[in-house]
Amino acid sequence: MKEAIIYDAVRTPRGKGKKSGSLNEVSPVQLASKVLKAIEKRSNIDTSDVDDVVLGCVHPTNEQGADIARSAVLESKWDQTVSGVQVDRFCASGLEAVNIAASQVMSGQADMSVGGGVESMSRVPMGSSGGAWMADPTVAYNAYFVPQGISADLLATKYGYSRTDVDSYAVDSQKRAVNAWKENRFKKSIISVEDQNQLTILDKDEYMRPNTTMQSLASLDPSFAHIGKNHGFDDVAILKYPEIGSIEHVHHAGNSSGIVDGAAAVLIGNKEIGDKYELKPRAKIRSFASIGSEPTIMLTGPADSAEKALKRAKMTASDIDLYEMNEAFAAVVLRFMEALKVDHSKVNVNGGAIALGHPLGATGAMILGTVLDELERRDLSTGLITLCVGAGMGTATIIERM
Amino acid sequence: MKLENIRLDIDKIGICNLILDTKSSEINVFNESVINDLSKATEFILDNPKIIGIIISSAKKSFHNGYDLNYLYSLKSSKDIFETIYLLSSILRKLESSGKTIVSAISGSLNLGGLELILHSHYKISDDSKNTNIIINNIKYDLSPNTGGTQRLPRLIGISETLDLLLKDEIISPKAALEKKLINEITEKDNLISKCKEYIIKNKELLQPWDQKQNLSPFSSKNLGYFISKIAMLHAENSDLYHSVKILISCIFEGLNTDINSGLKIEARHFTWLLNNKENRSMVKTLKFGKPDTSFDKNEIESIKKSFEKNYAAEGVKLLIEGITPALIENAGKRIGFLNGPLTTTDKIELQSVISELDSKDAPVAALIRSMQKLNRNGYSKRKGFYNYEGDKKLKIWNGLEELIPSRKNQPKISEVEKRLLFSCINNILFNYSKLSKLKNKNFYDYISIKEIGFPAWTGGPFTWVKNYNVKNFIRENKEYAETLGSRFIMSENIFKEI
Repeated sequence: MKEAIIYDAVRTPRGKGKKSGSLNEVSPVQLASKVLKAIEKRSNIDTSDVDDVVLGCVHPTNEQGADIARSAVLESKWDQTVSGVQVDRFCASGLEAVNIAASQVMSGQADMSVGGGVESMSRVPMGSSGGAWMADPTVAYNAYFVPQGISADLLATKYGYSRTDVDSYAVDSQKRAVNAWKENRFKKSIISVEDQNQLTILDKDEYMRPNTTMQSLASLDPSFAHIGKNHGFDDVAILKYPEIGSIEHVHHAGNSSGIVDGAAAVLIGNKEIGDKYELKPRAKIRSFASIGSEPTIMLTGPADSAEKALKRAKMTASDIDLYEMNEAFAAVVLRFMEALKVDHSKVNVNGGAIALGHPLGATGAMILGTVLDELERRDLSTGLITLCVGAGMGTATIIERM
Repeated sequence: MKLENIRLDIDKIGICNLILDTKSSEINVFNESVINDLSKATEFILDNPKIIGIIISSAKKSFHNGYDLNYLYSLKSSKDIFETIYLLSSILRKLESSGKTIVSAISGSLNLGGLELILHSHYKISDDSKNTNIIINNIKYDLSPNTGGTQRLPRLIGISETLDLLLKDEIISPKAALEKKLINEITEKDNLISKCKEYIIKNKELLQPWDQKQNLSPFSSKNLGYFISKIAMLHAENSDLYHSVKILISCIFEGLNTDINSGLKIEARHFTWLLNNKENRSMVKTLKFGKPDTSFDKNEIESIKKSFEKNYAAEGVKLLIEGITPALIENAGKRIGFLNGPLTTTDKIELQSVISELDSKDAPVAALIRSMQKLNRNGYSKRKGFYNYEGDKKLKIWNGLEELIPSRKNQPKISEVEKRLLFSCINNILFNYSKLSKLKNKNFYDYISIKEIGFPAWTGGPFTWVKNYNVKNFIRENKEYAETLGSRFIMSENIFKEI
């Protein structure tokens, strides 16, 4: 089997995912195209050597529909021989795209592929693509469907994470993100989003709330208490988890991932293609895994997928220097750290989606870049990236610096 | 053409009055013979270009009562059921899309099946008689619609309106039916047929709403949110016990993703599954055929109901004392179909009234009662019991309870708690049954248990449930319970014989 080598990773800043957000004026295909062009420029590659572009996108409809990966290839004026494919594994789509690109290289069926993702949540809102999972009565009944926020609160209730626990985690995330920006720790990966006149539209993550404190979070009402109580979802969750008397609604906008716009891309190739362009191998993909888990609590998959990937790499949790565990909700990370017995000092050291935002289809590829940059900065070796995934799944990837 | 259940009365201008008159029956129903007649009549009408319109009317005092249940249950194979259901659906579909105007002349009562019949007509005129009503029984305790109702109703009156209509009991007067858009016009009884003819003469080549462009996609932003939340609410309310509710919303959702023709097939397939479902069949049979034909002593039943409620509450308290968590006890009760969990029920009827069912010599029981009484936590009337209350609203379980009776480390599976509660309830009801004076019929008793005593309907009643569960196993497992849990699980010889 060939080695899948990471030669580059880029991402846009995350813009607030609403009409007033800076990236709202930029279409999703433009966002995707900006990271592809950055990849081309930074590595100075002839794009006809790229076999495939795999992009994660969770709501592939309207502007993001009709295989946005191929549209992005064409919009970037890459060679027409480069194919494009859009993939959806909900929140892990961006990481899954990287894993697929890596698989192509590992299996010898591609010399160089791009994995990445894009989501303009301000323009194609969550829920835009419908779905049988939540709306088809047979499926929803069988899966005991509840919205993800209810799952997060169920998880907190089941494992005993209090409002204080989740809020203090959120405050840490903000502090770490502020510190990361202060020390410019994202500089290797981040590109400035510019218009056609090279005027800057956004060059910095704009979702952060640096002044977040326990007191400021305490004033926020739980986001999912109303739908939980008034739309039957708490009761459905309890039907599945009858050991629970009532759901403690602890999550709110301040301790859940932010809604943002953004795109990311990772350049993966074999050794020969890297040598051809004199590219510096930054890391190799050691292993990856996706798993399915119980769908009502939905968000316990990261630990399972991490363990599966660790096993494949013949490693244990303690062999990993730094973790990026997507901060979909604070309780998800708390549970992950507890399940894998990993200290917070190794996890999301530069903050995460609570502070920076979670552009659904792009996040996986973004945080892979984040952990790679940080491994290099600290001169450490191994990183594990994982995300919880809708409908009860998890995806994880282990990288090792070269 | 020889018809036994239908008369065709064709006038000079080509209006055919199709008069429903089910042979050897007081009411109009659908059975094999009626469907055959309807099929022949339809062919005749469609082949006859002189017929410009059809009036659907009844020769009986009442209008129509849908399928004859005995006939439905006589259909043996899934193939027979599906083909029968789909045949009738197709006949009505052919009629409504034939280009001939169809008008229903409604006089007398009709149930949901009758309503389904009139929905295929382009225009529905009802008389204003007191006896003319649409009688809807909550389909939760019944079969789901099967003659196009799940497809035509949402397309005619709306999605939420359909679910609201079918998930409660209601007697709908012509005036109310007009407001709900189930019918189009009310007239005096004497004018009914002439009004229908007038309409047919004036209105030709009509298209049903579902044969025109409609925007009813379940994935429109309005409908998507409705479905997601309504599914959860129905699931939560009915647990997984009442299949016809799930079938109803499935038929509506799946049908609205396609057209009426595929929708009718979808409905027939779901209905075939439901008719074959043992639980639904048991419940429907008990509720439709189990009604006692003799009067019974209301006081006797009332005392059985009290005993039943007390026993249910007490079983919960006993589980609590054994260290089972309140959540598991309460949820087990709800999952087997009780509105309230046993501890909520204890609060409602007050701990004091449950004491007689508990072994107060047992130290933990005595300690619990003493402490609860000392703290004045006797129940809902004090707004303090196992739960805290704020006015009428039940809050969380009282957090002092865990201290009083610590939960044990290894909790049983929910299914074990459910089973014990159900066995205890059945034993209680059977014990009381053996003491009853008059009522000595298992079917009646199943009916009374559901309708009067509060035994969950999905079971089909205690006797039916035991029979479906397996009598031998029920007796054996009761013996096992009796060894550790005591006399309430010992079944008397009398009951032995009865079941």
